[in-house]
Amino acid sequence: MVSQLLPATRAPDPIAPLATRTHCPYCAFQCGMVVTAVGGGPKLEVQADPAFPVNRGQMCIKGFTAADLIDHPARLTTPRLRTRDGRLAPATWDAALDFVAERLTRLRDAHGPAALAAFGSGALTNEKAYLLGKFVRVALGSPNIDYNGRYCMASAAAGQNQAFGIDRGLPFPVADIARTKALLLWGANCAETMPPLMQWIGEQQSGGKLMVVDPRRTETARLADLHLQLTPGSDLALANGLLHLAIDERLCDLDYIARRTQGFEEVRRAVMEVHPAHVERLTGVSIDDQLRTVRWLAAEESSMLLSGRGPEQQSKGVDTVLAFTNLMLALGKVGKPASGYGCLTGQGNGQGGREHGQKADQLPGYRLIDNPEDRAAMARLWGIDPAALPGKGKSAYELLDALGPEGGIRALLVFGSNVAVASPNARHIERKLASLDLLVVCDAFENETSATAHAVLPILQWAEEEGTMTNLEGRVILRQPACAAPAGAKSDLEILCALAERLGHGERFRFSSPEAVFDELRRATAGARADYSGISYEKIRRAQGVFWPCPTVDPPGNHPGTPRLFVDRFAFPDGRARFHVVRHRPAAELPDAAYPLYFTTGRYKEHYNSGAQTRQVAALVEAKPAPRVQVHPRLASTLGVAPGGALVVESRRGSVTFEVEVSPDIRADTLFAPFHWGGKSSANVLTNPALDPSSRMPEFKVCAVRARAASTPVDGAVP
Amino acid sequence: MNTRKKRLAIVGNGMATCRLLDELLQRGALHRYEVEIFGGERGGAYNRILLSKVLGGDDPDAIVTKPPAWYAARGVTLHDGVSVRRLDTTAKLVETADGTHHRYDVAVLATGSQPLVPPLDGMTTDDGELRPGVFIYRTMEDCLKMRAHARAGDNAVVLGGGLLGLEAAKVLSDGGLHVTVVHAARTLMNAQLDELGGEMLERQIESHGIFVRTGRTVEAVLGADAVDGVRLDDDKTLAADMLVLACGVRPQVEVARASGLPINKGIVVNDTLATEVPGVYAIGECAEHGGRTYGIVSPAWEQAAILADVLTGANPQARYRGSKVYTRLKVAGIDVASMGRIDPELDSDEVIQVVETRRGAYRKLVARGRTLVGAMLVGNTAAAANLVQLFDRGDLLPEDPLEALCPGASLGGDARADRTVCNCNKVSEASLREAISCGAASVEALCLATRAGTGCGSCKTELAQLLARHAPAAKRVVAA
Repeated sequence: MVSQLLPATRAPDPIAPLATRTHCPYCAFQCGMVVTAVGGGPKLEVQADPAFPVNRGQMCIKGFTAADLIDHPARLTTPRLRTRDGRLAPATWDAALDFVAERLTRLRDAHGPAALAAFGSGALTNEKAYLLGKFVRVALGSPNIDYNGRYCMASAAAGQNQAFGIDRGLPFPVADIARTKALLLWGANCAETMPPLMQWIGEQQSGGKLMVVDPRRTETARLADLHLQLTPGSDLALANGLLHLAIDERLCDLDYIARRTQGFEEVRRAVMEVHPAHVERLTGVSIDDQLRTVRWLAAEESSMLLSGRGPEQQSKGVDTVLAFTNLMLALGKVGKPASGYGCLTGQGNGQGGREHGQKADQLPGYRLIDNPEDRAAMARLWGIDPAALPGKGKSAYELLDALGPEGGIRALLVFGSNVAVASPNARHIERKLASLDLLVVCDAFENETSATAHAVLPILQWAEEEGTMTNLEGRVILRQPACAAPAGAKSDLEILCALAERLGHGERFRFSSPEAVFDELRRATAGARADYSGISYEKIRRAQGVFWPCPTVDPPGNHPGTPRLFVDRFAFPDGRARFHVVRHRPAAELPDAAYPLYFTTGRYKEHYNSGAQTRQVAALVEAKPAPRVQVHPRLASTLGVAPGGALVVESRRGSVTFEVEVSPDIRADTLFAPFHWGGKSSANVLTNPALDPSSRMPEFKVCAVRARAASTPVDGAVP
Repeated sequence: MNTRKKRLAIVGNGMATCRLLDELLQRGALHRYEVEIFGGERGGAYNRILLSKVLGGDDPDAIVTKPPAWYAARGVTLHDGVSVRRLDTTAKLVETADGTHHRYDVAVLATGSQPLVPPLDGMTTDDGELRPGVFIYRTMEDCLKMRAHARAGDNAVVLGGGLLGLEAAKVLSDGGLHVTVVHAARTLMNAQLDELGGEMLERQIESHGIFVRTGRTVEAVLGADAVDGVRLDDDKTLAADMLVLACGVRPQVEVARASGLPINKGIVVNDTLATEVPGVYAIGECAEHGGRTYGIVSPAWEQAAILADVLTGANPQARYRGSKVYTRLKVAGIDVASMGRIDPELDSDEVIQVVETRRGAYRKLVARGRTLVGAMLVGNTAAAANLVQLFDRGDLLPEDPLEALCPGASLGGDARADRTVCNCNKVSEASLREAISCGAASVEALCLATRAGTGCGSCKTELAQLLARHAPAAKRVVAA
């Protein structure tokens, strides 16, 4: 891969002496921020960093209010243990860690190491993700570790691996988005989910076309030159249909296909049957709009397809992503300037989180756990027998579904994830969590998951500790401490090391700092697919982040990183990208007579994922105190509900009540609600845990529901 | 338990079989079945719907969906170019036209349709072959022969003004031929359009340089050796270098009849696509379900999925309940969509029609209560996608059904004027628009006037969009 330096890789201008450059605690955009401790702390003042080349001085309301999390009255600073009468009572760190270690040991002795599991997060730094993976496999000896990125990036990751041989969310810096002449945003509502990204799209629109595919007329769709308001779950049919038209209209780049890809012939024959009229019927997108879309994508000198969770969070998410890569490869766009396919990663470190061994099937550096060479390399580094390294564990939902005596997992350690709200079929998962012999939640706040925990361990937050994150571009960046840590809270790294010590593996878990963990991570990834070995903290500071892969070269430290992938080859031995035959199939659950409506989920600008953090911030709660279900006026009149009324929404898995928002922006056959809340308005109580066969991504974005007006109003905001 | 693989014989290798194979493979059928295909047409399976592309000059391979190598690579036996005479349902044997026998445990008939060929005077030569210049428009071979025959400047008569005939006429016309479509019914595409719709379509077709004679048929083919004209039933003659027969199809049931299977219009099957003879199934255009046969592909696909569910046990309870029919004709400048009933059936059925005489557009809905039981669109099909989904799902029509003809009409920009654009300072779209109308002409001025965008700044892109949309053109200054 040819690597090119970005123009703006000089060190940023100096800032005020008491200020620190760091990054936002939330999404994958990882806005650069300048944080100043007011009067030495603990009150922090946050400003967007104008020098960071990703957000360029913009930030969203979540970032601006992120300091509220630091000196928050509900902040946990003392470990808590569940008492006999069911309360969580304060305990010393020693007592808490002893309790956890002792119970882990006892459960391991009684049920074997696979009865112990950990659930990680895309919010963890690379260092934490790495160490958590090592902890589970070495100190617990269990295969069962997965993370909430399985709910987020897994389909795009699997698709990109199969098509390009490597998985990096965006294969180019975000600045390239501004330069593309035709941008197709597919199931991505970035105006709400990633507002500072919109500055690049605004620039893009000054000379280019914007198309948005979404079942809702979102804030993003409103900006588009063309909005394709498709039926939920029909994305794969639409993408295949566009390829059919590209072939029919002779828009494919046959020279590119011949030089840089393999497998086109079979795909061409397969999509031949995807007739535009059939696609129109399945998707609700007119043939004219299909044609307009593919013509824009093909005709422009540069074009880009970026997907979000809409098409990915389906039981056919991987095949849908492969339909996207098929399309962009056939048009000859992938690897060309300001062109190609990319996925807009969701979580802060969704990218790095999956690269460093938090996933059930992966080892650090994107090594594969069932590849003997990868196993040997890690066993060597960790000083264990390769045979002692556990194999593939259960994927996120399957892991949670296996909790308790029936499934066999008796202990779960949760780091940075509110699984009780974030998982599909959430009531079921709540029951599973309650059946554990040991549930340990490491978090800075209590949340729905800690409600049944046996131990809650208070951790440090984003502005209090150091560590690297890998943003949506594959740029490895550095979070730097901006204030002192509160007495009583510990880093997840410290907790893992202290537990490893108690479990008799202390010698493999002695690190003086996050940077020391990073040094081991560098060695672990040397020569692997996601090679970080040429990256150092110092280099990140100097260059405003470093794009992986960044191998060790001679002289050491000289590799500039790789801002753009696929410029002249793909990450397969023959350098060619792969086409894959993929066919539309229905969602696992479709509306029928009993449950006649589609239900889909998404986000609000003011909240982040399960809301565990944002529901603590007063300004955000005030702006969006509760979820509202979006109902088309026609459906609202049929259901007899008015704006502000209450609607009971039921699926085969549960029933919830939402306040009603009547809006013509949604299809009349579909209900939408955000998933940031638990309790009585928990959208994920309704969602279907049908999994993609290869990525194991649950089908968050399509299920069947029925709805009726509630007899009583929604009883206030759910905590 | 018997672990021997069963033999699954599929007779016919058209679009139904092609899809059935995909559905079977997707369900892992090759673990349970040895699959054998008997295809009368040589060269694997192709997409018949795209035949007009080949007629128009495309490489035949461009529409081949499964070349012979596809079958070989998957361990499926293809008897390419081998016709079947009958099934011996007692001995469970497939008997081919060349007299070989192949055992089966399960047989699927997917023999498709055969073209209707009217007995025209002079159509055949003395030895019973079609006279040179007379073509039936049905197979790849037909297409290639037509293509080889047709030359720019020739005259062509297409007998049959249905979907296929019109597609052929358009391709021939595009190839520089003088084309006349002769259609026996009073209006074109009379199976999918009412008379007004057919007339509208006729005008569109004629505006593309094709001549149409409706309510007429060809009585005789003229010419000593090759075709040089046709005589219509009004005794007029048309010079013609070629005559294309596109008079519709009927289920191809010869194999079924020879096998003693129950036949009505087509091979009679139940909701599992089974005939009454154990082990014998039928799908596609040759099958009759619930008294209906279908001459289009999507029912065949739906049947293929159900049959694969049943035969593999992936979903043994899967049942086929009939298909809703959606037809689309879309060739440059000619745009038709039709679904369900074209005329009211019950006294209570409501009919909504919009006719645009200058534009040549016609839209019609047939509603039963508030559900859509049929629709047709000629000349303006923008609402087709919307309507076909309402039709398929049986969802309620808008109170004013005309709204269903105007996709996007319900998405008025004003409906959301009260929404908050700037969350930091709680500024609504309405206040921003007021500020714009009061003269704020740049993002900076708008920020100053309303405080929007002065918090996190993330709404600035949207402010620029609002300016672009609502600022008076002369004053518009959109900040970069």
